Amino acid sequence: MRETVVILGVNHRTAPVAVRERLAYAEHDASAALARLRQAAPALGEAALISTCNRVEVIGVTADAERAWAETVAFLARDRGIAADDFAPALYRYRERDAVRHLFRVGASLDSLVVGEPQILGQLKNAYAQAAETGTAGLVLHRAFHKAFAVAKRVRKTTLIGRGSVSVASAAVNLANKIFDTLADKTVLLMGAGAMAELTARNLQRLGVRSLIVTSRTFDHAVALARELGGTAAPFDDFRPYLRLADVVIGSLAAARTVIGPEEFEGVIRERRYRPALLIDLGVPRNFDARLNQLENVYLYDIDDLSGVVAESREEREREAAKAETIVESEVGSFLRWLNGLELVPAIKDIRSSVEQLRDFELLRHRAWLATLEPAERERIEGLTRGLVNKILHRILSGLRESGAEAPNGIYAAEIARRLLAPDSAADDLLDDQADDGDDES
Amino acid sequence: MHTIWLIPAVILYALAAAGFVAERLGANGWPARAATPLLAAGAALQSIDLLVRGVQAGNIPVTDFAQSLVFLAWLTALLSLYLIVRFRMPVVGAFAAPLVFLAVAIAAVMARPGRIAMPGALRSAWLPVHVTLALLGYALFVLAAGVSVVYLVYEKRLKAKRPLDAGDQRAPSLEKLDRVNYQLLGIGFLMLSLAIITGAIWADATWGHYWSWEPEETWSLAIWILYAALLESRLAAGWRGRRAAALTIAVFTVLVGSFVGVSLIAPGKHGGNFG
Repeated sequence: MRETVVILGVNHRTAPVAVRERLAYAEHDASAALARLRQAAPALGEAALISTCNRVEVIGVTADAERAWAETVAFLARDRGIAADDFAPALYRYRERDAVRHLFRVGASLDSLVVGEPQILGQLKNAYAQAAETGTAGLVLHRAFHKAFAVAKRVRKTTLIGRGSVSVASAAVNLANKIFDTLADKTVLLMGAGAMAELTARNLQRLGVRSLIVTSRTFDHAVALARELGGTAAPFDDFRPYLRLADVVIGSLAAARTVIGPEEFEGVIRERRYRPALLIDLGVPRNFDARLNQLENVYLYDIDDLSGVVAESREEREREAAKAETIVESEVGSFLRWLNGLELVPAIKDIRSSVEQLRDFELLRHRAWLATLEPAERERIEGLTRGLVNKILHRILSGLRESGAEAPNGIYAAEIARRLLAPDSAADDLLDDQADDGDDES
Repeated sequence: MHTIWLIPAVILYALAAAGFVAERLGANGWPARAATPLLAAGAALQSIDLLVRGVQAGNIPVTDFAQSLVFLAWLTALLSLYLIVRFRMPVVGAFAAPLVFLAVAIAAVMARPGRIAMPGALRSAWLPVHVTLALLGYALFVLAAGVSVVYLVYEKRLKAKRPLDAGDQRAPSLEKLDRVNYQLLGIGFLMLSLAIITGAIWADATWGHYWSWEPEETWSLAIWILYAALLESRLAAGWRGRRAAALTIAVFTVLVGSFVGVSLIAPGKHGGNFG
């Protein structure tokens, strides 16, 4: 069986936030989830888990893609407590070239809700670090992720994809500008401390809001963030009085249920004397009840809504994205060439020829002496050496083939054997030395 | 009656209206860029028309409904130009220019032949003051209602998570529309109040009594009360945004009804029947 890279997941295009929020893992749970996945899906030789607001994906290396996918789906359903039927229609599955391309596109922010937004790379690095820590990333994933980071860097450097108001955070700021004429007399309440929420608050702060209030489940965190952003911290169990003051509320709490409901906010709006309020919900699952949008002078935007807002300059970004796709495509090719180099068949070929070469070389070295022998004797010596070579090769190759079934060890073993026996490698010199030593002894 | 200057003004207004509307629909070439200059040119030609007729009449030319409508359209054109340029709100042109065009075109068609002689009693310095204040107030209310319509449209689109309009990023914010609406209402209310006061003083000087409960006066008072209530709801109850915009439009429809109705159906002295 061939080892291939596979990806299975949902993203903002295939699944609504209602499905994504049920599949998503909290950051602190991701490593443990990865370990559980590894147990539940033995077909996955290597695995990493990417879980952001916009995507939940499992990337792995397997010899049996169908089995790996089935095991992963079963795992997600069980682990997240969501019926497989609820998310299976939204799943995409990629293998080999498509999987590698997808990973690179994700890293280069080509698959993002807002193409070119920079946060995804950090999230991908996080996912990789977790996989490396948990020990589920092996040779192929290590290489694949590092390559994805390099591709992202190259795309960022050589295209204008990240330019302009492209991130979700800037989209939120644009939105604030449509509701408010100036932010100089506005108060922002930041609830929770997701990366995107923090960036949004930072952008608003840079435009000069009057005050920024930060609240978070861990008060110390709120204090630290407030200090960094130049705001004030509010205790989480007592944040409600601040709702009245806030013209912009950014929700980014990891909460199982919605934090603010319509009945409660209706009172807040009255106390605010109907001054408009912008609620930006970056939480997955969502922090604010969707019905809040129906309240007078209240504008509720969740992560899916923000995609519609950033439609401007899309044409330009699409042009740059096309350039980026070309880069990705060429890098996918180079990665696959490397990956195929790891395949057993070429490795076996290399090993065979390496050992054959050793025999040829030895025969060549002793050709003067061989020439003095009778043809029959010479044939026997050639037969003897051929037999020896075949016996050694048989042991190596059958051992490799056996371990090849236990993906992905076969690939690595073959790679090691190939390198050790490669005539131009340092290992070759080592072998020569050992052979010389052996000669001396005899 | 109008001068030869009015027809080219009507044409320029029509072109300006087309330009502003095209801009809203996403055109960003010359039609959009030309809209504001066209509106200004139309207003300039109309100014000449008003000036010539004013000189002919020896006073402000507002002796019948058509003339009042033309004068109101002219004030609206000037005020909308101010909003477009000074407040950078080209969206105002999209409703103001078509309205101005319609008003002037209707008035041009309606215009009675010949000159209406104004009774000597009315040839007072109070006439231009009173009429200008009243129509200035109405023009401000026209714009307030238009801005409110824009507010409601943008508000609805924002709730529906759609771009505000074709020029999304340059569209005025809801807060700005709300504030401009409030300012227009405030100044309009002041103008209307002054118009009523000057009208009363003038009536006293001419007929010996301040108030005679003729239809225009009664309606003006009713409208004054409605606008006062509208401003009060914002100041005291804090009604703003959507609610304020909807109320502005509601009160304005009453104003239109009274302006058209009183002038055409029950004209008193204000309708040109000075007997």
